[in-house]
Amino acid sequence: MNQAVWAVCFALFAVGLSLLILRRELLVMLLGLELMVNAANIGVVYGASLTGDAAGLSAALLIIAVAAAEAVIGLSLILRVYQSGRSPESDVLRELRG
Amino acid sequence: MVHAAIILAGVVAVVFAGLMATQRSLYACSVCLLAVLLQTAAIFYFLGAPLVAFLQVMIYAGAVMVLVVVTIMAAPAENPQALRKPSMPWFLAVLGILAPLGEAAWALSRGGLPQAAGWGASAAQMQVGTVLFGPYAVATEAVGFLIFLSALAVVDLNRSQL
Repeated sequence: MNQAVWAVCFALFAVGLSLLILRRELLVMLLGLELMVNAANIGVVYGASLTGDAAGLSAALLIIAVAAAEAVIGLSLILRVYQSGRSPESDVLRELRG
Repeated sequence: MVHAAIILAGVVAVVFAGLMATQRSLYACSVCLLAVLLQTAAIFYFLGAPLVAFLQVMIYAGAVMVLVVVTIMAAPAENPQALRKPSMPWFLAVLGILAPLGEAAWALSRGGLPQAAGWGASAAQMQVGTVLFGPYAVATEAVGFLIFLSALAVVDLNRSQL
């Protein structure tokens, strides 16, 4: 059981990391990042369930809130890229304007 | 039985995470992520943390996925011919629908939390409020302020559109 939960955690984290590294579309990279955060959250909740620690569950809730805030900012930036007409690929957006 | 449910939810989550990596369509990728998030919520529930599972569904699978869909709607249009073909085999789509329904039906038939699993999360979550506004009060307020700042940042980024 212990190995199964950690295997799921690491598998989800690895898939998220591969999406972040291998894909060029900004939105897919952000979805990979969300997958990584979820994988970490599974580990936190599992640790809290083993020890009966309320602080672990609280940390999981704070992680969900922080990840939601980060997703909002990232999606807003991606939306601006779409609206500006530029290509939403990370290797094209290499220079800051100014 | 609870261990089997957790392992099933984990396997389905990993399968759909793998599908995410192979999808070319943004919409299909986000639907696969939605399936992963629902299975993650199921894992939280079967570990005896229904509060975290509920908030996972409400915030992540609800609010964040709605924002993702709105962003995809603003994306450049995909090739209409490519959208006519289903993006995943039909049995995986059926699995993605039946897995959360089956887990919910099993949980309801058991009549409550998996107390017999011997995990302490169900007792610990009674103290989450006390911990969040006690020892972790500064962190809780900081996260609330961060969410407020993210809302301000979104308004500022799109100021020219308003």
